[in-house]
Amino acid sequence: MITLRELTKRYGETVAVDGLTLDVKGGLVTGFLGPNGAGKSTTMRMILGLDHPSGGEALIDGRPYASMRHPVREVGALLDAKALHPARSARGHLVAQARSNGIPVRRVDEVLEMVGLAKVARRSAGAFSLGMYQRLGVAGALLGDPRVLVFDEPVNGLDPDGVRWVRELVRSLAAEGRTVFLSSHLMSEMQLTADRLVIIGRGKLLADTPMADLLAGSSLSSVRVRTPDAADLRTLTGHLLKDGAVSVESPAADELVVKGRSAEQVGDLAHRLGLRLHELRTVSASLEQVYMELTARSVEYETGDTVSGGTGTGQTRGVGA
Amino acid sequence: MSVSTVSTEASDGPRGRVGSDRTGGGFVGAFTSEWTKLWTVRTPYVCLLAGLLVTAVFTYYYGSIARINDKPLQPVGNASVSSVVLTQFALVILAMTTVTSEYSTNSVRTSLLWVPVRPRVQLAKALLSALVGFVTAMVWAVLGIALAWGPFRGHAEFELSKVAYQTVAMGVYSALICVMTVGVSFALRTAAGAVAMIFFVVSALPGMLVGLGGPVLLAINAYMPQTVGGYFMLGDGEAPFPDAVSVLILLVWAVAAHVAGLCVLRRRDA
Repeated sequence: MITLRELTKRYGETVAVDGLTLDVKGGLVTGFLGPNGAGKSTTMRMILGLDHPSGGEALIDGRPYASMRHPVREVGALLDAKALHPARSARGHLVAQARSNGIPVRRVDEVLEMVGLAKVARRSAGAFSLGMYQRLGVAGALLGDPRVLVFDEPVNGLDPDGVRWVRELVRSLAAEGRTVFLSSHLMSEMQLTADRLVIIGRGKLLADTPMADLLAGSSLSSVRVRTPDAADLRTLTGHLLKDGAVSVESPAADELVVKGRSAEQVGDLAHRLGLRLHELRTVSASLEQVYMELTARSVEYETGDTVSGGTGTGQTRGVGA
Repeated sequence: MSVSTVSTEASDGPRGRVGSDRTGGGFVGAFTSEWTKLWTVRTPYVCLLAGLLVTAVFTYYYGSIARINDKPLQPVGNASVSSVVLTQFALVILAMTTVTSEYSTNSVRTSLLWVPVRPRVQLAKALLSALVGFVTAMVWAVLGIALAWGPFRGHAEFELSKVAYQTVAMGVYSALICVMTVGVSFALRTAAGAVAMIFFVVSALPGMLVGLGGPVLLAINAYMPQTVGGYFMLGDGEAPFPDAVSVLILLVWAVAAHVAGLCVLRRRDA
């Protein structure tokens, strides 16, 4: 488990990470989101002992990273896949890593095979594509068979097949009970991969919640209702508003979009009123929409256009009503 | 390249696949990792080859000039000692790149992930550079003696104990210069800064001090690394300090560089 307690990083007057307190638990994939400059990479570097916190602490299984005798065997990290000597071969790089932590060299060949780089193992890393760098970084993270994994943008530069591979890999690692903490800017990918989300903006914690709760609790989630009778539509609208719905809109003559009520609540109400429904379903907000909504005021570097709403397509979920 | 199946192959076996909890790591791990890193790039080989060539050319030339100018009889090892003025920079480059190449490629972060105890990384690099500097300088010394012996043609004497002393002294001096270089490199982080500083302290400043002259500047020069090392390696009885003091002065230079390097390495984020 990764434990952050009031973790703070200041650069002069700028507070990059502002009193972060959270637990990243084992057996789950915890996604780490935030706009550029929000402090994600700084937080990860502090967890791994690369940056010194200005305050608070970051512990892994109760200990600072720097106190571990075999850190590579306890924590697998991929921060910057290109942070290696370009003239050194992939195998040479991993052998040096293995020897630093007393890991048998045969394990190097295992992980190279695992990430699909066995055939280019003796080629200089400088000739690698970004995707190959990422695979080598993943190999380095897995080398010590660690209980905790920290990935910063692991799918950056990967082709769709590679993205799916990373997704399945991190899911399988979490299924084995390991702690997986990963950041990504690919919202759709994060929505498919993470069980839990930590979202920060301007260094502050904005959300630390299960993915399902975050999406369900969003004001952007709604219930879509269709009925063929215009009078029924008006009746239902009136009762929904009295019943506590936040908003009821009618984008089409036979359709309502209800916010603030669940599909079950709308269905029960229609049943009590004896109304005939042709469709009743939950329209979940996409992670991208929820993320944009949460971080709208935390974006440090933005264009002239106002950040709002999100462009992702909402995901729908049918409800048996 | 396509990988469709996923298996970490990690959960099915004991953690023995990655080593025992009580073995590996620590300083030995840091040193063996540095050793592997050093010999898996081209730079050290180029440096060693360059030093070898310079030694060969310089010592042969030294012996020839001594004969041509009919210089008095001298220990044959003096040829190799004189070549150290140049060849030390091949070792300086080698030692420096173990540090500065990691900063220029950002791979220092990776190194500190593997070995998060920063002084341990610094010590491992220093000892590795010292070992390489010690052995290499002695090999070059022997080679230089062998190559100079011919062109000297009787203008040099071969005394085994003297040859052994000078060979080991060249090893010790080169090792300490390498250690100093690693410290300076950690302090300055860039190749340009480190090589400029080493060149200034080792070569340029002594030249300036002697050129300007005067008792104060000459007294200062007596403590400069190359001056101390020159007397120590020649071992001709004209050194202002006993050998132990000479080594101690060189050690002080190396330690001072490392204290500066460690201050930077500890304080700054990677």
